[in-house]
Amino acid sequence: MLTFFVIVPVLIAVFLFVFSTNKAARVLAIIIQSLFVLATFWLFLQSRHTEFITYVGSYDDVLGIILRTSNTSAVFILLTSVIFLAVSIYSYNEEGVRTFWFLLFILEAVLVGLFLTRDLFNIFVLVEVGTVVVTILIMYYRGRRQMFTGMVYLMLNIVAMQFYLFGIGYIYMLTGAFDVAHVADALAYIDREALVLPYALIMTGMAFKCAIIPLHSFVPKVRLYPAAPSAVVAILSGVQIKTNVYLFLQFHQVFDTFSAQGFFLAVGIITSAIGVFMAMCQTDIKMILAYHTVSQVGLIIIGLFAGTEYSFLGGLFHVISHGVFKTALFLTAGIIFHAYGTRDVYKIRGVMRRMPIVGAVTVAAVLGITGAPFFIGSISKYFISADVHWLVEWSVIIISLGTIISFTKYAGMLFGKPDQDLIGDKPKPDTWRLVPAMALGAMCLLGGVFGQPLVNFLFVNTATIDIMGYAQKALIFFVSVAVGYGIYKYIIAGNKLLKRIGDLDLGFKSACASMGAFFGLIIIMVGVL
Amino acid sequence: MDMLSETLLVTLLVIWVLCCVLILFERRIYRNIIYFGIFSLIASLCYLLLGAPDVAMAEAGISVFATIFFIVCIEKSYSRQGGAVREKSESMRRGRWIIKIAVPLVFSAGLFALFVRFMPDIPVNTYLKDQFLARFMTDVGGYNAVTAILLGYRVYDTLFEALILVVSVVAVAHMSWAEELSVPDGRHSEIENSNMAVFTMRIICPIILIFGAYLILNGHVAAGGGFLGGVAISTFFICRYYIYGIYDMPVKKVMRMEELVFIYFTLMAVLFVTLIGANIYLPSDFAEVYQHLYLIIMNTLIGLKVACGFFIIFYRYVTVERIEGELPAEEGGSQA
Amino acid sequence: MIGALDIFAVALFFISFFGLITSRNIIKTIIFILTMQTSVIMFWLFIGSRTGTIPPIIDVGDIAYMYNLPAYADPLPQALMLTTIIIGICVVAINIIMLNTLFRKYKTTEWSNMAKLARKDHIEKY
Repeated sequence: MLTFFVIVPVLIAVFLFVFSTNKAARVLAIIIQSLFVLATFWLFLQSRHTEFITYVGSYDDVLGIILRTSNTSAVFILLTSVIFLAVSIYSYNEEGVRTFWFLLFILEAVLVGLFLTRDLFNIFVLVEVGTVVVTILIMYYRGRRQMFTGMVYLMLNIVAMQFYLFGIGYIYMLTGAFDVAHVADALAYIDREALVLPYALIMTGMAFKCAIIPLHSFVPKVRLYPAAPSAVVAILSGVQIKTNVYLFLQFHQVFDTFSAQGFFLAVGIITSAIGVFMAMCQTDIKMILAYHTVSQVGLIIIGLFAGTEYSFLGGLFHVISHGVFKTALFLTAGIIFHAYGTRDVYKIRGVMRRMPIVGAVTVAAVLGITGAPFFIGSISKYFISADVHWLVEWSVIIISLGTIISFTKYAGMLFGKPDQDLIGDKPKPDTWRLVPAMALGAMCLLGGVFGQPLVNFLFVNTATIDIMGYAQKALIFFVSVAVGYGIYKYIIAGNKLLKRIGDLDLGFKSACASMGAFFGLIIIMVGVL
Repeated sequence: MDMLSETLLVTLLVIWVLCCVLILFERRIYRNIIYFGIFSLIASLCYLLLGAPDVAMAEAGISVFATIFFIVCIEKSYSRQGGAVREKSESMRRGRWIIKIAVPLVFSAGLFALFVRFMPDIPVNTYLKDQFLARFMTDVGGYNAVTAILLGYRVYDTLFEALILVVSVVAVAHMSWAEELSVPDGRHSEIENSNMAVFTMRIICPIILIFGAYLILNGHVAAGGGFLGGVAISTFFICRYYIYGIYDMPVKKVMRMEELVFIYFTLMAVLFVTLIGANIYLPSDFAEVYQHLYLIIMNTLIGLKVACGFFIIFYRYVTVERIEGELPAEEGGSQA
Repeated sequence: MIGALDIFAVALFFISFFGLITSRNIIKTIIFILTMQTSVIMFWLFIGSRTGTIPPIIDVGDIAYMYNLPAYADPLPQALMLTTIIIGICVVAINIIMLNTLFRKYKTTEWSNMAKLARKDHIEKY
């Protein structure tokens, strides 16, 4: 049953690979994708209260591969399919269709598969397929300037997966099982000392994949973003990185004998802060958004590891809200780039006047990401920082301030008068691109207005938003906007030093070494201390 | 395992590790590639001693491809720099080697020590092994447990494995410097004029093909299977290249065939995974025939798939990648 | 006895790791990625052969094998490592193609030179 959710995208991909150049085929693919969204919604409704289990090939017990949904993974699958629908409508007129559409749907199959599977080795295979597909898609326009970075990205990912493979070897040796649930059961009977090594190996691999700071994995990836197709970047930042966060969380729960919660909380805060700081240093619009992905993933990790029930819920909901507003931002950034022919945030002016709809969507998404009241980001940020330790709360506030500063720069391009030399006779955006962006922008607003019922509906919870607390957060938001605007105006704008910092790069060898250092750090922290 | 093979295994492993150390110290790249070939061969022998003939064959076949890829890659720089590709020896300032060599060495050794300190000292859990060995004949059929696992219990993994092959063929075409697939005028191989080599190859060629077919068709009974057979068949193409050059390689046909085979394979796997299921209830006489038929068909499809995939990648390497030529001008990057 | 063999695989893993963080040539780095992978594969097969090393291929008509199960090698690691080998070679093929394309452009296979040139290229044109 659940296998269909993986097989259907593969079949669409193969179908498009054969009948690619035909426009009717693409329309058909979009229709099938919409049906797929309905199917995932049905799956979500079904698995709200009970788990769905499929034994692939109907072998019983632990012999075969087991696919399983929980409420959380069903929500993420729903998000994946919705974003893929938006992106496939957006790239309806994409050139060089054949491989692009093929790879797009293969990627969808892989991501859905990662949310469904509970088999350790299957995760390895899927992640490898995903890495290769992402490497091709991210360099789809054959920008050879980026190929060096792309190669570094690919090699680093292979090395990280070797750590992971070594780790699951130990797991297999100790437990004789591959299914996560069985492994978790079996680990309870095993000496804590014996688990240090597999824990460190697996966590090194997984932490690398979800762009956690000490590994710097995000640097090569982020450097690839500007030249990649916007549709692809939207998927990578909206969904793909979340699969890794999900896996990371899952492995953290499997090894619950280790209380590395504080460590990962600190890592999340550092990741988020550095991501925001790097974003402030950029001038390329896609680069700004890319570094914000890093910081928002850090925020999600803060939420998941802060330790209270509400913050965990906030972390999960932030996966959804970040998926929505970041996809909207990247899609609109693609449209803006198309209309202006440049990605420099200081050169683009007057988006509001030239393309009012795109401008409105951008405003909604920017308000979403900065956590303005009545927008979707405010809800998740409220939950993340509800009744946590004051240090965590303040770091979230400071990260939000950084986000506001850098988006003051970003929003600058909405106003002013468009530069006629730049625009020339570039065409207006076509409808295929506007529709998904508008839908996502509307979701930013609606998700905020109906925040509380939405959270409770998605995650089967009875969380309530305290009006006074929410008002307090809103007040903090407005104060931060004032402070942030001041900081932007007098410190950030046009700062040469910051631009130099923003160009920082990290080579393959040092990234590899930091991977080893992270591995050693976890062993020392868990095993020795 | 008896005393003799144990000693042999340990000796091989020592040479194996030394080989890797040799690669560390050797600066000439073509020697490194040869050492890597030896390294793979020893690894393959070790696999055989550890009771894994399938993996040993796969490693042996794959290392041929890896070596060819590496050689094609260094060939151009080799000819340009007059015979030797060396790592450029930077003049090491005093104290420089501490950062370059000593710190990484201490770092790696420290990680190694930490690793060894925490190596779990617990006997292997053999639950899954016993289950698989006891049940694979009735569940999936055939006599080779590895094939049974690949095509039965974990066919879902195998599906993605075939997928990564398709994707990598696309990737190799996409990442390459040249847009077009085939070269206009055929290129001779270097040993085409050597009578002895061609004669030997001509004798070997059909044998390899038959061997590949044997591996595929007998994959469920003996060591072998789709992947190994596919790799063997694609080494047939390598031999053929060395005899005839690339004049009459049916590339377009092979590419079309690869797509079709992948579609069939996917449909077959879907049919199997979702609709029919392995333990279908049939009369016991008929069940065995059905199971064997399924295994043979799947092995054949995978074998064709792998053979086509590796042929296309190999073809790309020996033709387009070997041409001397400049990159086309950088595109403006106007799309996004 | 066989349990002690793991040390070889671990040693090779970290030798390869040392090679990755020190080697100056990209081809050499790719070779070390392959050796690292081989070491992991070897480790898995060590696990599989702890109890027995007879290949898990049953003779046709051998009914008594059920009483001799511990003597056989574990088929599961073998199947998984077959998958890993195929995946590894696919990824390495892509990797070398990328390196080849880059070599045509920058005429070097050194990490430091190529990083310098690529960075210059990146900043100038972008």
